[in-house]
Amino acid sequence: MTPFAFFCIGLLFAIAILGISLLNKVQRLKELGDKVTALNFSLEEMDEQAKLIIRTDMELNKAHEELDKKISGLDTLQKLSREISTTLEEKQIFKKINNQYVEELGFEKSLAFLWKTLEREFHLYLYLGYSQDESLKIKAAINANKDYFLDLIKSGSTASSEFIPEGTLSKNKINQLFLVHSFIICPVLAQEGDQGFIFVGTQNVETSVTKGDQEFISILANQIGQTLDNARLFEKTWRSQQELEIKVEERTRQLTGALEEVKKISKRKSDFISSVSHEIRTPLTSIKGYAAILLASKLGALPEEIRSRLEKINRHSDELVHMVNDLLDISRIESGKVEIKKETLSLRIIVEKIADLFSEQLKTKNISFSSNLPEDCREILADRSQIERVFINLVGNALKFTPQNGKIDISANCANKIIQIDVKDTGFGIPQDAQESIFEEFFRVDNTINQEVKGTGLGLTLVKHIIEAHQGKIWVKSKVGEGSTFSFTLNAA
Amino acid sequence: MTRNPQARILLTLLYLRYILNSMNVSLGFSQLKDPTLAANEAIGQAIIGLRNTPATLAFIFTSIEFAHPLVLRAVNNLLGEIPILGCSSFGIMTNQGVFKHGFAILLLSLSQQTFFNVAAVKDMDKKSPLLSGKELGDKLLFGFKNVPRSLSIILSDKLITSGTHLIDGLQGSLGKSFPLIGASASDNFENHKTYQYLNKEILTESCSGILFGGKFNFGFGIKHGWKALGKMRYVTSSSGNVIKEINGLAAVKLYEDYFAKNTLDLAKELRRISIYYPLGVYLPGEKEYLLRNIISIKDDGSLITQGDIPQNSKIRLMISTEESRLAATVAACEDAKRNLGTGKIKFLIVFDSAARFSILGRQNDMELCVIKEVFGENTPLIGIFTNGEQAPLKSINYLGRTYFHNQSINILAIGEQ
Repeated sequence: MTPFAFFCIGLLFAIAILGISLLNKVQRLKELGDKVTALNFSLEEMDEQAKLIIRTDMELNKAHEELDKKISGLDTLQKLSREISTTLEEKQIFKKINNQYVEELGFEKSLAFLWKTLEREFHLYLYLGYSQDESLKIKAAINANKDYFLDLIKSGSTASSEFIPEGTLSKNKINQLFLVHSFIICPVLAQEGDQGFIFVGTQNVETSVTKGDQEFISILANQIGQTLDNARLFEKTWRSQQELEIKVEERTRQLTGALEEVKKISKRKSDFISSVSHEIRTPLTSIKGYAAILLASKLGALPEEIRSRLEKINRHSDELVHMVNDLLDISRIESGKVEIKKETLSLRIIVEKIADLFSEQLKTKNISFSSNLPEDCREILADRSQIERVFINLVGNALKFTPQNGKIDISANCANKIIQIDVKDTGFGIPQDAQESIFEEFFRVDNTINQEVKGTGLGLTLVKHIIEAHQGKIWVKSKVGEGSTFSFTLNAA
Repeated sequence: MTRNPQARILLTLLYLRYILNSMNVSLGFSQLKDPTLAANEAIGQAIIGLRNTPATLAFIFTSIEFAHPLVLRAVNNLLGEIPILGCSSFGIMTNQGVFKHGFAILLLSLSQQTFFNVAAVKDMDKKSPLLSGKELGDKLLFGFKNVPRSLSIILSDKLITSGTHLIDGLQGSLGKSFPLIGASASDNFENHKTYQYLNKEILTESCSGILFGGKFNFGFGIKHGWKALGKMRYVTSSSGNVIKEINGLAAVKLYEDYFAKNTLDLAKELRRISIYYPLGVYLPGEKEYLLRNIISIKDDGSLITQGDIPQNSKIRLMISTEESRLAATVAACEDAKRNLGTGKIKFLIVFDSAARFSILGRQNDMELCVIKEVFGENTPLIGIFTNGEQAPLKSINYLGRTYFHNQSINILAIGEQ
């Protein structure tokens, strides 16, 4: 082997090694290229995934924003509703709506108008986010285009920058009129009285009105409408009440005047009766005295005719004295001059005393007298002499108007420390129309019995006055031909 | 109590020294409808809270309806000639809660060793943001020649979309790594106008600020909680806050692909899409991406963002959950607390993105609860909802570069030295 051959073999060997190494490198480069391609592919894939993530995230954000807006809107509506619904004055309703509420609903401007039928124009009730000058200019522009807004109210439909009902002003016109970019106009439909509309808007070009916004404003408008109805109803009721109160006051004044007049007249009457009675009693006493002297034959024996006339004078004088005494008693009780000295009295003893007093007359007319006084009704709180007069009058009347073989019964019952006493007879009875007047002074039932039975017409008046002076009540139940029951109440002891 | 007159004088002097060397803070808030009455009520509360120490500075944050010259006049009448800094916002945050309407004031009685200067640059619509930033920086530096500077807080108009350039301008004047904390005011989507308050003036399209120096201790934290999703892409063509192409295609294609929507449909839902799925700009070495909201889509498919995105930036689409956002709030609070060190926290200023407020919806006080949980219920707190936040990213290392952020919560804790 020559050196050249060695060299050639070595060269070939080196070339072979180089070739193998080159082949390896090419192979590795190819592999790296594949890896880069794969990485690029992965990157592209990840970028595509990033796009999906972003789109999903955006949808989620939108949904979140919408939800957030709805919760905020509902919260605001609830607060507003609470504020408005407690208001009962028309103008105050709109004052409850403030900037904060409007902003929470996503707007910064708001106006409210009500149509005044008499003036034939829209009146401004609320302006937020506008100066006074701006709001007055808008009011003038609305009244210049009133037909469009009246149609909107009539149709009851909501107009917004997203939806304009037919026949209404164009979106651009409304934007110019209200100086906004987006808006909602919703009718305020009250059942009675003036109707109107509420406007909300924003100048923010990035805000768009959603269906949810429209719903919220619609709910608010409904709430305002209902509250307006309530306020108007309240106003109406309040006015009626005021009128009624004025009338009642006027009538009360008249009645008070009349009562005062009656009291004056009554006092004058009592004074007159008292004075006249006193004046009559003195000569009556003389007449009676002289008649007694004559009847006693102290001035000599009297012929029978004169005696009988004198006896008549004496009897009539007694009746007159009795009447004068009754009148004086009534007048004293009326004027409060009689002092009622209440004490615990036994009802049973009083009834027995009365029975004893009238025993002769009862026997003569064969009238049975009975009493039914339960254990718990036996003691009353009353003035002895006065209450005895009540019994004497009532039992005396019963005796007078009860025919032969009749019955008189005194019974009592007690409830809540009040004792009701009934004096029942089987007499002729009192006609229905006379029952109301029976306690009036000098009233006597106009019938044949009364023409026969004498009386002053003052007994029951006196009884009524005595019972009332004891804080009690008296009334009568009667049926002609069956009898009468006089009932009165007294405090139990 | 000692009866020795000398000891009493010494005690009084020590007390005075303590008063003069310590910072006192008091907060006032009112929701009264009448703006002047509300200002009176809130200022009254704050003055009482200061307990007879003289107020030296006031921060005022109000809802838009309080931005009225009469209100500022009432404030000046009640507070005298003290410097006032503030802005309007569509929401106010205080210890009491989160409010859409109100007037909040934070009254400070600063130590004599704390220096500050307030200034504003007006009519920014007529100037370049870069020059405006420079002008504001120069104005703030007035009188700070030999005083060590600590921190600047700036409040800018919502309409200033080139927040990045404004920061560049300010950094040109104050230094690249000087900590700037700030926010762009937000409005209530109504009149697209925001207001800045500086002393007796109500400004629009302007930027007001304050520069603190001397004895002043602070800590801050800024976080958002969004996580990257999908492939990383490259901004192949952009100019300022306009992204023309991503991966060589019209920028809008990215969103069209991800949301399976055409440009028209995207435009309709742009606000929602933008706040839930902003773009994240990758920053090497940072844990969180820098977020950018999409403000609008141009006819050629370009995306206009709130804040710049440089060409060749690596970007990704971002996604978050309630949990990740709240975890970010906790992290921002803890950063601020850690950054402050051992000094006692006197008060907090919170710049919270309006987008975060919108996402929280009904539960918009959740973040406040988290902040109060970290710092304690009674730490005075005042904040606004913002349309862009400014803060350095590397807050822990202190001298990080300030960025213009979106959708972040920016917590500034001020404490005693």
